[in-house]
Amino acid sequence: MKEGEAVALLGANGAGKTTLLRILATLLLPTRGRASLAGHSVTDDPAAVRRQIGYHAGSDLGFYSRLTGRQNLLFFGRLHHLSDDLLGRRIAELAERLGLQKSLDRQARTLSSGTMQRLSLLRALLHQPKVLLLDEPTRSLDAIAAAEFRHFLKSEVLAGRGTSLLFASHTMQEIELLANRVAIIEDGKLLACDSPVALRAGAVTTTLEAAFAKITGRHLESSAGPGAP
Amino acid sequence: MMQFLRDLLLFFRRDLRIASTYRSPFILETIEALFGATTFYYVARFVDSPALREALPQGNSYFAYSLVGFVFFDYLNAALNTFDRSLVEARDSGTLEPLLVTQVSLPVILAGSAFYPFAATTLRIAVYLGWAAALFDFPLRAANWAAVVAVLIATLLAFSGLGVLSAAYLLLFKRGNPAKWFILGVSSIAGGMLFPVSILPPWLQIVARLNPVTYALDAMRGALLEGASVLSIGSSLLLLLVFGAVLLPTSMVVFSWVLRRTKVTGTLTHS
Repeated sequence: MKEGEAVALLGANGAGKTTLLRILATLLLPTRGRASLAGHSVTDDPAAVRRQIGYHAGSDLGFYSRLTGRQNLLFFGRLHHLSDDLLGRRIAELAERLGLQKSLDRQARTLSSGTMQRLSLLRALLHQPKVLLLDEPTRSLDAIAAAEFRHFLKSEVLAGRGTSLLFASHTMQEIELLANRVAIIEDGKLLACDSPVALRAGAVTTTLEAAFAKITGRHLESSAGPGAP
Repeated sequence: MMQFLRDLLLFFRRDLRIASTYRSPFILETIEALFGATTFYYVARFVDSPALREALPQGNSYFAYSLVGFVFFDYLNAALNTFDRSLVEARDSGTLEPLLVTQVSLPVILAGSAFYPFAATTLRIAVYLGWAAALFDFPLRAANWAAVVAVLIATLLAFSGLGVLSAAYLLLFKRGNPAKWFILGVSSIAGGMLFPVSILPPWLQIVARLNPVTYALDAMRGALLEGASVLSIGSSLLLLLVFGAVLLPTSMVVFSWVLRRTKVTGTLTHS
């Protein structure tokens, strides 16, 4: 992946998208092969890898329900060894960009699923990671929240800030909007990796979904997803 | 080292913040300690006799002897339960993954998560003894506090290895740990909790001598009830440190192996 590039992982359930993301996040160890991120091997130097990544598993879990959003963010930010000054600034800045100012001082258990997702993204961005790993980030969002989430990623994370994005998704609209390249995966193998335009042209189809079907010989179960028209 | 301590403190502050959102448990535990101390007092009064007092290896009342055994047993409970409980809570609340992608390692996460429960156990013991001293003449004034602190530290080191092994078991097998119940069960009989190990049959006395709980309780009763100095309980302290020196590194090696294995099999965050 290049700096500032967005790559989508596209594949049917069980294709290996989440496994790949979790290996890159150092949550899993590869049984074969090698993986490196920002120049660091995930097996030899996982701590260095973790300094470079922000990981969001696409779920609205992962916060201490009795603590407020801000207390949660301060706790996780300090575990990244960020100073309180820097943390305070980052939380304020990101909360404003994500529209979370009013939610920060409420207990996490009182927040909606969409707000928790945004809070989770905020947490992943706190330490200004070089690479953002997102696993179906809009999976549990309603259409409006999903559209806003994508807009934020496009305008605030990817636009000229140098953060690379690797994300798994079943939502074609999301992939078309965000990805510079799409990696099509099947049974843990990379079948194709190119821009959406090139994939469509190569498969002589007009939609990414049809290109996917042609390349893999199978159809995605849910390609519309939240926020799709 | 400073960073390690700062990380531990972060977990302590997290748990303290969470605990402070629940107001009633502390009040309930304080009342429960009152009931517990009272029960022990009357049971001890019922069974107490000059012959029994004579047979006690430390202290001069069965009330003080049994109460120390009972409350101090909490440490073994805390050591055995804290590490795997914090792992289960993190896993079930979904916070384990976000924790694992920060700059702290899982052993630090576990050690940090044990900090508050150990402190809470210490406080609970203090409340128990406080009630006993205030209402039933428990001989707190006799205690040698420096020796008490030394016993607590040596005990934590000795017992924590068992806790880490228990967490390793949980990571690997995902469900309750039979070894934990076995250790607790054996220790309650052959550990000197409520009666001296000298009354046990010879083979159980051998078990008691291999059990760190026996030394921890001996040393704690000496320090608390007889004002024994660090030097005079030195042999028990040394044995506890030996248990710690063997168990802690062994448990860390086992835990590291299990952690690596669960990362390969992809079952680290599975329940």
